Amino acid sequence: MEYKFPNDLKYTLTHEWIRIEDSFAIVGITDFAQHQLGDIVFVELPEVGMAFERGSNAAELESVKAVGDLIMPLSGEIIDVNKNLTDKPELVNLSPFIDGWVLKIEYSHANEIDELLSAEKYKQFVQNEEK
Amino acid sequence: MDFIPHDKETIKEMLEAIGVKSLKELFQDIPKDLIIDKLNLPSGLSEPDLLFQIKKISQKNKNYSSSFLGAGCYYHYIPSLIDFVISRSEFYTSYTPYQAEASQGYLQAMYEYQTIISQLTQMDVSNASMYDGSTALAEAAIMSTIITRKNSVILLKGIHPEYEEVVRTYCWGQNIRILSTDEEDLHTKVKNEIAAVLFQSPNFFGDIEDISKLIKNVREKAPNCLVIQVMTDPTCLGVLNPPGSTDIDIFVAEGQSFGLNPSFGGPGLGIFTTKQKFLRKIPGRLIGKTNEINGKNYGFILTLQAREQHIRRERASSNICTNQALCSLAALTYLLALGRNGLREVAIQNFQKAHYLKKELSKIKGYEILNRKPTYNEFIVKCPNIDALINFCKQNNLQPPLKLSKYYPEMGNIALVCVTEMNSKKSIDKFLELARSALNSKKEENLK
Amino acid sequence: MNSNIQSIFDKENETIQMNFVPKMDIEQTNLNQIIPENLQRKDLPIPNVTEIEIVRHFINLSNKNYGVDTGIYPLGSCTMKYNPKINETIAKLSDFINIHPLQEENQGCLELLYHTSELLGEITGMDGFTLQPAAGAHGELVGLLIIKKFFENKRIKKQKIIIPDSAHGTNPASAKMAGFSIIELTSNEFGEVPLDQLEFALKEGDVAGIMLTNPNTLGIFDRQIKEITRLVHQYGGLCYYDGANLNPMLGICRPRDMGFDIVHLNLHKTFSTPHGGGGPGSGPIGVIEELIPYLPKPCLFSSEKGIMCNNNNDLSIGRIKAFWGNFGVIIRAYAYILALGAEGLKKVGEIAVLNANYLRVLLKEKYNLPFNRICQHEFILSDQGIPNEITTEDIAKRILDYGIYAPTIYFPLIVPGAMMIEPTETESKHSLDNFIEVMNKIYEEARTQPELLKEAPHNMPIKRLDAVTAARKPILHD
Repeated sequence: MEYKFPNDLKYTLTHEWIRIEDSFAIVGITDFAQHQLGDIVFVELPEVGMAFERGSNAAELESVKAVGDLIMPLSGEIIDVNKNLTDKPELVNLSPFIDGWVLKIEYSHANEIDELLSAEKYKQFVQNEEK
Repeated sequence: MDFIPHDKETIKEMLEAIGVKSLKELFQDIPKDLIIDKLNLPSGLSEPDLLFQIKKISQKNKNYSSSFLGAGCYYHYIPSLIDFVISRSEFYTSYTPYQAEASQGYLQAMYEYQTIISQLTQMDVSNASMYDGSTALAEAAIMSTIITRKNSVILLKGIHPEYEEVVRTYCWGQNIRILSTDEEDLHTKVKNEIAAVLFQSPNFFGDIEDISKLIKNVREKAPNCLVIQVMTDPTCLGVLNPPGSTDIDIFVAEGQSFGLNPSFGGPGLGIFTTKQKFLRKIPGRLIGKTNEINGKNYGFILTLQAREQHIRRERASSNICTNQALCSLAALTYLLALGRNGLREVAIQNFQKAHYLKKELSKIKGYEILNRKPTYNEFIVKCPNIDALINFCKQNNLQPPLKLSKYYPEMGNIALVCVTEMNSKKSIDKFLELARSALNSKKEENLK
Repeated sequence: MNSNIQSIFDKENETIQMNFVPKMDIEQTNLNQIIPENLQRKDLPIPNVTEIEIVRHFINLSNKNYGVDTGIYPLGSCTMKYNPKINETIAKLSDFINIHPLQEENQGCLELLYHTSELLGEITGMDGFTLQPAAGAHGELVGLLIIKKFFENKRIKKQKIIIPDSAHGTNPASAKMAGFSIIELTSNEFGEVPLDQLEFALKEGDVAGIMLTNPNTLGIFDRQIKEITRLVHQYGGLCYYDGANLNPMLGICRPRDMGFDIVHLNLHKTFSTPHGGGGPGSGPIGVIEELIPYLPKPCLFSSEKGIMCNNNNDLSIGRIKAFWGNFGVIIRAYAYILALGAEGLKKVGEIAVLNANYLRVLLKEKYNLPFNRICQHEFILSDQGIPNEITTEDIAKRILDYGIYAPTIYFPLIVPGAMMIEPTETESKHSLDNFIEVMNKIYEEARTQPELLKEAPHNMPIKRLDAVTAARKPILHD
């Protein structure tokens, strides 16, 4: 299976992607993750203003037969959520890296960014998982 | 008797195909000292002997000709076609409809059950059933804590005592705090930290609450606190305002009155309904209508399953799996058979007949009706000699009303009386006659 | 072809239907004097439909539904055995169905409940039973609340429950409902509990107990069962037996002897009560003597005056359902146990296992069998190696075309593309051979006509439904 791994993004081992923009980050689930879950039917979004530690569950993505978590790649506060997903959860499948973004966070520990994976590293990880 | 089709030859043939020498060999993984020789049980019985033996046990029960007992389980007329419908093997010997294509009949019926419950209650969504009214109420309490992320619920006085106990057990499991109060004191207890206020109407003592007023009282103090109503005999909805016409968040009920026999209290039917906005938090199965992937027909399917335990495992909001499907089929059939005219007439007769007894009873010296609010088919009455009344009823083959001291020791002389459409005028008049005699028997005792 | 059956709500007609309400025989008061007008509903939108329309509607619907009485129902972990008809007759005796749960003259009902507890005690080896739980999952919750109360009473803080990854989904969900957190164990290559992992988890402390299904959901009897329960006890935990798979153990071996402290049974699986399309069921809980005081209220006991009921037990977890449990279901199970007796029950265990192994051996010729061992009541096939990327779902749908219900699919989760097959003891060899023939035919079709499977079913009232849209935009009523 061929998946997309845009080079300008950071990744996690739990299949989130992160776009760093100044003091905030945009987060979604990767192309590989949306394939694994299948057709997303519902996204449960957190409330704006909530703060999460890195590694905690911030959102849930449901398909017909599975539930996936979006795990906070960086500690911080939710400053925006993709409200389009409420009516069109399929955006996560159709456009995981653009229209299907899930959260915008104001991160609190910049040093955590260094621990995120590059596209190349994440790609290797996925290829190993596939085997 | 057993229900195994193989003869010895067949068993031998099958063992050979498997490649083992004996049935014993099939249990080779079980440590030898765990294998038992024989269960210490009697030998099997033939069908006639079995029927005879159990029938004898059943006859140790008393089957009354007429009843004044309700308190969460009611005698209503059950149309013959209900047993006929639920006895169709295609329904009652099927499993949960996991394979939708081979289960369209039942799925459509369950969808129609959800529809008729929505129509009856005017609530946005109904699930496909819970175990009974008491567990439906407990699950509603838990659901409210998940929605509001608060950890306390308030129980209003008048909830069926056994339901209240069930709610307490479930809430203890999840460390949910329970506060109890009555209507007068509600405003001091309702705060923003409360997940929900639970109440019953008509309540255990028969009172019909003014629900709109109650909701208003709650909302004024805590706008996000949910209001949950439970009902033990929803035939009253033939006349009463449906919960969906108010701002009730979750409405649950015991559906036994809809075509199910008392059957010593089970199986019953847990009716569970809520608002559209809480749909994804509802426990239990849901049936949805959808189209074929490549075709023009519509069909029915188990849906929103990602809420449930088989997918969400420990993150599911409820562990419910098996429900009361066949009972919901009975309820659907009952509501269809009665129809809007019939259900209204049932409700009217319950109101009228109970009212008649209430009115006549209050005319007898010494009897005092304690309800201050309107009532449906149950009411509470203070009796001058409750034990005599109960004994007289039994002697005359009338099932006596409930002595409230069963649940409330301090209410020793109060009876909870139930009258449904099944009570003829003759039986009610007989009850009144016995009530008068009970009074005299008390006088006699006093004279002594 | 449009094979849809018209909705019952479209069969409305304006007959005034009063067939099912007795004639009013008392003088009526103005309704508004009994109940204020503002509390009365303005309209009641349920339909009026004639009796013949209702009966035809449901008969037509029943024709589009498959039950055990239609044919083999090889749903793994569901034990879809024949439901004897005498049980229906007995459960409908008027001296049972008309009995009110709060009436005093109830000796018949109490005796039946008490006897059933005793019989289940002998079958499982447990010392005390409650028949209150309405289903297996309800029983699990009760069992876990007993564990919780047991440690609370002893003032020992224990908050974790160990559950293997092959467990039924209800196990972790029930543990959560009782306030526990879960430690998941990964099954070993035989589908058994790995002892080293188990001990590691136990050493961490805080473990209240373990929930196990044995035979497990792979149909395999855990050979280390005694060591597992011994270890858990050694670390002060309790052992919970998920009885969903008890059928093959009937008369062969008992959960108590395996070392379990608490067991739940599914009367609607093992003891032949009908599944009713998903319920009502009954999930009795059996416990060892030490745990009897913790059973839910009310508790029954035998005395000179007959069977009595104890409501005043301080240690009890409390009430978990109004009244007495699903009595109507319990009657059927009672009748079943008496009908079979000791010999009959043992035969159930033996033949359930014989039938499953017969299918296993003959189906593995073509299908992948991930755990190639003698199985108990059920076994797992997977879609690995089936030609032309045919999936488990494709096979399941094609099975329906041959007039057979499909196995449990995609469970347990630890085997990708699992098909879980449990024939039960009541299927004849002829019926099993027919199933094998169908499965082999389908394998051939996968090789030669894959499209036939990918588009299956073809002979059912409908084709595959759009589950995705159903979940995105739910339509839950008309």
